[in-house]
Amino acid sequence: MIRELFPTFVFSLVIVAFQLVVFSNIRVSGVVVMLVWLWPLCVGLAGSTIAALLSGFITGIFFDTHAATPFGLTAVVAVLIAYLAVRLGREGVGDLESAAWWVAPVIAAVGGLLAPILFVIAGFFVLDFGLWRGSVLQDMVVNSLAFFVLARPLTRVARWGSGLVRTRR
Amino acid sequence: MPLRRSTRRNVTLLSGFAITLVALQFTVGIGAGLRTIANGAVSPFAATIRFVATPVGHFFSGSLNYSSLVQQNQQLRYELGQAQLRLNESRAFIQKLSHMSTELNVPFVGTLPTVSAEVSSFSPTSFAATIDISKGRDDGVLAGMPVVANGGLIGTVISTTLHGSTVRLITDQRSHFGSVFSNQGTSVIIAGRGLNNGLAAASVPISFNVRPGMMVFTDGLEGGLYPAGLPIARVSKVRLTPGAATYELNFRPTADLRHIYYVDVVLWEPST
Repeated sequence: MIRELFPTFVFSLVIVAFQLVVFSNIRVSGVVVMLVWLWPLCVGLAGSTIAALLSGFITGIFFDTHAATPFGLTAVVAVLIAYLAVRLGREGVGDLESAAWWVAPVIAAVGGLLAPILFVIAGFFVLDFGLWRGSVLQDMVVNSLAFFVLARPLTRVARWGSGLVRTRR
Repeated sequence: MPLRRSTRRNVTLLSGFAITLVALQFTVGIGAGLRTIANGAVSPFAATIRFVATPVGHFFSGSLNYSSLVQQNQQLRYELGQAQLRLNESRAFIQKLSHMSTELNVPFVGTLPTVSAEVSSFSPTSFAATIDISKGRDDGVLAGMPVVANGGLIGTVISTTLHGSTVRLITDQRSHFGSVFSNQGTSVIIAGRGLNNGLAAASVPISFNVRPGMMVFTDGLEGGLYPAGLPIARVSKVRLTPGAATYELNFRPTADLRHIYYVDVVLWEPST
């Protein structure tokens, strides 16, 4: 268990660092591409259940400590995204080797489309009604496109990272 | 293949834990301590990535935008000269306003002390328009204080640590504040619409003569969030629905919120 948790923890911190240093500073039409949501999705597609869920939680929580949005909200969305990806990953849907090349990117694009709206909806539950007044549609489109492009390389990284431990159970 | 019970249990546990953290943040405010711990954990990785990424970014940015930078530099020199001229002209007006505000017992920003701070980072997400600055409680900065830069109000301090603070920008979706038009004393409530979309005010009575380009200032009303006289924004668009009795106004902030490097925190608390 520890052998599985430690690389997940370290990889997730590296992803958060990448998000904060690189991706949060490259805004596409003013929108930040949320690597912290894409990473658990890719780990989920790579088929590692525990790693995906933990990645979602860790990247979300650590990212939340740097953002002024309600604490824990990014983590909730990341865990939900990871859960959906795990379901598909366990079916072998997004597998890089057996599925068509576009399957993983399309799943990621749908994830990118869903994540911002999930975030806004989750915001209602913590009585933050201001999140929808930004450019949610823009967030959805930009994240969807970015997730489409980044999904395959990141899933490969996720597989490689998960390869350090036992995956594909 | 159906998911194992343990997976469902893990999802429930992690989601529950995250929701508990959200609830705790609301009720007892555990944010500051956790932020410090998380910063400590992420900072070695962030420093390494920054060490590699920054020179690469500067190289590309510098080589692609050199001519633009030269142009910006010339423009800035011109604007600096103009600003100096206006500063000299406005000294007399500031004195006059200061006297008037003292007589009316309304705090005026020209007489209030400020603390200069460097912007250390921008919000890492597009769901919040905030910046982190380099001055905190040790320098007298407290939550609720207004922050100005680039010729206008940019936001309010929302949280502080000993050596840093977070400022919520006026364009943040959760920003609301009272303001007054420069020429006719008409008050409107302005709300942020996200960093990309500026500011807006709804239900402005049609009887008020509003034109694009008009400027709004903080109203300084008793119990308000800001002292009087801080320039906020200019009207960029006036929308009138046929048959409606009110305008909808869009504003462009006076300060350039995308390029803030240094700010001044006005040492003024809303309750004072």
